[in-house]
Amino acid sequence: MIDLLADLGRGSIAVFQRLGRGHLFLLRVLASLGTLVVRPGLIIRQIWSTGVQSLVIIVISGTFVGMVLGLQGYNTLVTFGAEESLGLVVAKSLLRELGPVIAALLFAGRAGTALTAEIGFMKATDQLSAMEMMAVDPLKRIVAPRFVAAIVAMPLLAAIFTAVGVLGGYFCGVGLLGVDAGSFWSQMQTKVLLMEDVVNGVVVKGVVFGAVISWIAVFEGYDAVPTSEGVSAATTRTVVHSSLAILGLDFILTGLMFN
Amino acid sequence: MKDTRKMEITVGVFVALGLAALLMLAMKVANLSQFTSHEGYKVRAYFDNVGGLQVRAPVKMGGVTVGRVIGIGYDAKRFQAVATLSIDPDYDHIPTDTAANIYTAGLLGEQYIGLEPGGEETSLKEGDELQMTQSALVLEKALQEFLYNKTVKAP
Amino acid sequence: MRGAGLASTRRFAYCAGPEQMPQHALNSTRASTPDPLVRIRDLHFRRGKRAIFDGIDLEIPRGRITAILGPSGTGKTTLLKLIGAQLAPAAGTVEFNGVNVHRLSTPALYTLRKHLGMLFQSGALLTDLTLFENVAFPLREHARLPEPMLRNLVLMKLEMVGLRGARDLYPRELSGGMARRAALARAIALDPMMIMYDEPFSGQDPISMGILVRLIKQLNDALGTTSVLVSHDVAETSTIADYVYVLSGAKIVGRGTPAELRESDSPTVRQFMGGLPDGPLPFHFPARPLLDDLLEKTP
Repeated sequence: MIDLLADLGRGSIAVFQRLGRGHLFLLRVLASLGTLVVRPGLIIRQIWSTGVQSLVIIVISGTFVGMVLGLQGYNTLVTFGAEESLGLVVAKSLLRELGPVIAALLFAGRAGTALTAEIGFMKATDQLSAMEMMAVDPLKRIVAPRFVAAIVAMPLLAAIFTAVGVLGGYFCGVGLLGVDAGSFWSQMQTKVLLMEDVVNGVVVKGVVFGAVISWIAVFEGYDAVPTSEGVSAATTRTVVHSSLAILGLDFILTGLMFN
Repeated sequence: MKDTRKMEITVGVFVALGLAALLMLAMKVANLSQFTSHEGYKVRAYFDNVGGLQVRAPVKMGGVTVGRVIGIGYDAKRFQAVATLSIDPDYDHIPTDTAANIYTAGLLGEQYIGLEPGGEETSLKEGDELQMTQSALVLEKALQEFLYNKTVKAP
Repeated sequence: MRGAGLASTRRFAYCAGPEQMPQHALNSTRASTPDPLVRIRDLHFRRGKRAIFDGIDLEIPRGRITAILGPSGTGKTTLLKLIGAQLAPAAGTVEFNGVNVHRLSTPALYTLRKHLGMLFQSGALLTDLTLFENVAFPLREHARLPEPMLRNLVLMKLEMVGLRGARDLYPRELSGGMARRAALARAIALDPMMIMYDEPFSGQDPISMGILVRLIKQLNDALGTTSVLVSHDVAETSTIADYVYVLSGAKIVGRGTPAELRESDSPTVRQFMGGLPDGPLPFHFPARPLLDDLLEKTP
């Protein structure tokens, strides 16, 4: 019993320590963002490897999620004779929830893990250490550009996911199931609001999720135990922690924004 | 570093794609291009009951959307609900004695304001008030009346 | 900031040239040298409960090759990291060129590190860059050189280590020995005052070992740099080192020229220099008696 309590205590102390280290790390990353003003080229390369590389999976998933929404939404709405609201249903659910959340989950799996593995591998092979000895701060040179690039790429990916999803829903609803194209768009256009749905949903959620994912990913990489096992464990933690963080934050953000 | 140019171009395309998607969401999905609330001229209409009418509900004339509801409030002096309508300046020849009715699109559909033009020569302008209004059809009320009539007539 | 850094790099690069180095005769038997480049005093460092260094005094004379020998796991790499201020000691001082490196502010420390080259055991080449870009990396980071000049500089460094022809290869396409030579080219890119070699010979075949030995010697003589070499390869190290420290059990157990150490009467030094399997450094990891273990007498 005492042992159990002791384990519990040790466990929670370890959690708090990690939490503290993660936040201190975030402060150090934020403090080293200044260099990027001088060398924006560093960010561009990282937008390429996080954003552009995730594009294919985002577009494909977006299309399918939109199509499924069109199909399911139609089946439900048609029982009320309200199938002309299909566009509204598809657009609202994508803009507010599914677009940013699914895009973020995919991004964590595609780009977040790659970030952790890359930085962890650099640490394990002494590359970060070598940079320090060459008087190059790895936080400025390696971590900061990756952190910013993910924050830039994430809302763009969420927007692309959502747009493609709406088109997928249109294809399924209008193209396959015969909903009137005019009412599909007009219902959507009447009820979807720019600030509330588009900006709050895609942009704000996208930026917040991007920041959280890239924070977790670079921290796990930088903090990884410098061995193969250590890096693979860190990669797993990135997926688990960022997925949980995305879903938890989504609930909070939804509560804050859409009341 | 040879592929720097290529990489920069793809990143440029990616960012443009993302912004285009955002623009599409803003224009095509949220329909920013039509009726921003500042453009039109505003008129007020008082109703006994606005029912489920919501802000941004369309204002239609003969089935064509000519404006949007931009505000719904309650006038404590007249004990009536007041809806502020923003009418697209393209439609500037609406007679002053036009009637405003609240209709429902379909049985469960959204509610909108339908305008029925009168015969006056003068046109509506900023700040005018629509005199003839008909409130929303409230389902419970209609049912009550229907049942009342039935029971009264029945014996 | 960048400009100042560049200027000081240049100044050091030029004044560290061979002709200006104080080529005073080094009396190798003396424990302390006049004006050493690195002076370590009473250094303590512990990892967890284990003491890695327990009061170490050490000097690295200018322009010479100093070797720090010791069995694996005695913290030789840690010592280099302490000199480069990547780690902080529990007590004691490390002075580089008269400044305590652990008292420096971060910008000052980074300026100092530009005068330090370090060759990591793994090479630590940046895997996503070609050999050329790896060597160019410190130059691009610290000096805004025109591209043709940078190209010439990098090619010269690569030529020194014999890898000019391999400049477009990626680190994964190199053999271990080539990777280490490439890393060496990168370490000397900024013309450092001192190069630290971390186990340069471990895991090398005899040929590339011979190449590395010759390269280290050549670089030291040609560039007039100071070299610190951490190793457990007694034979190779002895051929080029001017002065040797033997590290064991968190202390320095022997010091002197390679010849002197071979004649040493300290049993630990003799065991290590001679490569004897057992001696004062036990072959066995500390454990309870074998019989107890075999009879499963749980303590």
